Amino acid sequence: MIKITPSELNMIAQYIHEISGIYLDQSKTYLFETRLGSLVEGQGCKSYQEFLNKAKKDPTKNIERQIIDAISTNETLFFRDKGPFELLQHKLLPELIDARTPNTPALKTSIKIWSAASSTGQELYSIAIILKELLKDASRYNLKLLGTDISDNAVAQASYGKYNKFEIERGLDQRYLQRYFSLLGDSWKIKDEIRAMVNFRKLNLMLPFSALGKFDIIFCRNVAIYFTLEDRKKLFSKIADSLADDGYLVIGSTESLSGVCPRFVPKRHLRAIFYQKTT
Amino acid sequence: MKNLSILVVDDDPVIRRLLQQRLQKANYQVEIAKDGHEASEMLSGQFYDVVLTDLMMPGGIGGIEVLEIAKSLYSTIEVVLITAHSSVDTAVQAMKKGATDYLEKPINFDELFLKLDKISNLKTILRSAQDLQQAMDTTENVAGQTIQDLEMRVTGLQSRLDTIETILLDTNEDEDVRIVKALNLLAER
Repeated sequence: MIKITPSELNMIAQYIHEISGIYLDQSKTYLFETRLGSLVEGQGCKSYQEFLNKAKKDPTKNIERQIIDAISTNETLFFRDKGPFELLQHKLLPELIDARTPNTPALKTSIKIWSAASSTGQELYSIAIILKELLKDASRYNLKLLGTDISDNAVAQASYGKYNKFEIERGLDQRYLQRYFSLLGDSWKIKDEIRAMVNFRKLNLMLPFSALGKFDIIFCRNVAIYFTLEDRKKLFSKIADSLADDGYLVIGSTESLSGVCPRFVPKRHLRAIFYQKTT
Repeated sequence: MKNLSILVVDDDPVIRRLLQQRLQKANYQVEIAKDGHEASEMLSGQFYDVVLTDLMMPGGIGGIEVLEIAKSLYSTIEVVLITAHSSVDTAVQAMKKGATDYLEKPINFDELFLKLDKISNLKTILRSAQDLQQAMDTTENVAGQTIQDLEMRVTGLQSRLDTIETILLDTNEDEDVRIVKALNLLAER
């Protein structure tokens, strides 16, 4: 295995931060070597320096994509941490539907939800399942469910909606499994009725995203933990711009916005916290 | 004792006996079923780490059916099929249905033990990954509650500080009055 030198470590860490916003602790040499080692060898490079030069010069940006896939953490599961989903089902969605339902019955209720670091899709599909369960007549609603992630691989896997038994077994209720997934060989595939409710696309949260429009609910969980405080501040300020004035933000259960974004105020519901914009 | 329990399913008494002896000698926990029906009954009563089954068996329940029954009962069960050379295509189809591996007759025991070692290693890794996940979930839950409590508390304190600041900066009031008001607010803890 090719060893990474301290100066290479520094350059690679900077490069990864530039292309993805991910800040990697440089004391964790093993993390760079285990995650990038096979890529370096696969490119036929003798050193990390050579690999970095090759990546920067690559006009197709293929190597850059592979680095992002290798370095981003796709640890996720269906209904990861029950709290936010109970919050969504029993508090946020009912309140939002009340607020958004037009007085004219002929008009549809519009709801836009964004999973800002959707990884391989489990979070957004969990949200879609809750909506399906909650809304008896989905045709009366104009739903837009968007999932974005920086990793091409993750976006592709999310779009395909196929999960192996290990990914499925964690967190997913048997009832939902039977109702919303079909067995495909040794794997489970999300059914078309749920798949059709969602969209996935690639997005780097470090870049501007106001073009996505405004959302009623934003899930941005366990991604900002990989960013520096400066980058976190910028991110949540942009998220505030992208959230409807009465919209809701849900972050990871071990994350905090204190000292990060004064534009949000935390509110408690049972064992979960959500954020709304300060008025 | 090795850490795998194995159910051997074969209608041929000679092969059944041979497998049982060799596996027991290698310290695996082995039970045997004489056909698919018996295997199906045994599986419904008990979990096995590995089912080692003949592909072709009489009586309506063959290796493929044993595979399907085992997988429907236990998603983590590993099924290895024993096939004649001529039915390798069927075995490959079976792997698409979730079989872990297949062995061609005549059985090469070195190959069988290698496959079992691999299954055993995989199970150990899986187990430790699950333990880690569980530990992480617990840590995350506890940390989450602590952080959320702090988040609410910090927000409460911040809003009180803001109010006190407003009071102290309010030049319409005498300084003494402002200080008393501020002290009163501070005392409300």
